[in-house]
Amino acid sequence: MPEMPELNPVIHGKLRLALLSLLSGVDEAEFTWLRERTGSTDGNLGAQLMKLEEAGYVAMKKRFVLRKPQTLYRMTEKGRAALTEYVSALKELLGNAVISG
Amino acid sequence: MSAEKLELTERLELIAKMMAEGRRSTRQWGWTFVLWGVAYLVATAWSTWGRSAWAWPVTMVAAAVLSGVIATRITRGHPKTIFGRAIGPVWIAMGSALMIVLICLAVSGRYNANVFVAIIGTMVGTAHATSAMILKWKAQFLCAAVWIAAAVAACFGSEKVAGIAFLGATFLGQIVFGIYAMIIESREQRRQGAANA
Repeated sequence: MPEMPELNPVIHGKLRLALLSLLSGVDEAEFTWLRERTGSTDGNLGAQLMKLEEAGYVAMKKRFVLRKPQTLYRMTEKGRAALTEYVSALKELLGNAVISG
Repeated sequence: MSAEKLELTERLELIAKMMAEGRRSTRQWGWTFVLWGVAYLVATAWSTWGRSAWAWPVTMVAAAVLSGVIATRITRGHPKTIFGRAIGPVWIAMGSALMIVLICLAVSGRYNANVFVAIIGTMVGTAHATSAMILKWKAQFLCAAVWIAAAVAACFGSEKVAGIAFLGATFLGQIVFGIYAMIIESREQRRQGAANA
């Protein structure tokens, strides 16, 4: 029997998966934009982003625009590779029948 | 379907939905199509009834400035998407090239309605087709077809046919399409607002 792939637990969390998927399509995104798109609370969003940052999947930078602080996140190469791997594993687990359906 | 498979399918759907955000962001640009469609109609009316050689250059420069101002305000706080980065330059390059050629046609006095419609139809049609291919958006493919059909009609038809083709393409390919994109975008925003509530 072929070995089933394992899903990366860091990415598997719904909010973390949503965040990585969102960041995969943009150069970098503000914290407020991510909160708006995911409908998450500040605390939860911050905690999940920190987990992704600790795993090296996202990078954070702070800057000031018109004296207002801005927190920006971008996906790292490691994060992109992890998401690609996760999607492949997910597809493999689900099987071609479900994917094409 | 087992609960586990259902959960995994949900994960895949979540990825697809979030990735579609990039595609969705480009629909925010529906207003530009409407603005430029109206600008074409204003310039056409001005050049037809006002008989001014400056009708096109002045209207196009005004539309470009207005687009720039509105775009700066709308995109504030929004990230640059990969789709936007691919499509934006196509429209900017097309618009700049078109403006240079149209200004030259107007200033040189070698204005010919058929050539004019053939140039606009080909260039706008090409930009629409490129965007449609990147976004895999059928409605925009239709726009491209409408503009290229107008260009072809201008090559073979009379001056009157070229004029009608241009007005038809402006109405369908710019104004109707722009309003359609704006409706889709506002529907998506409402849906997302309800989902986040």
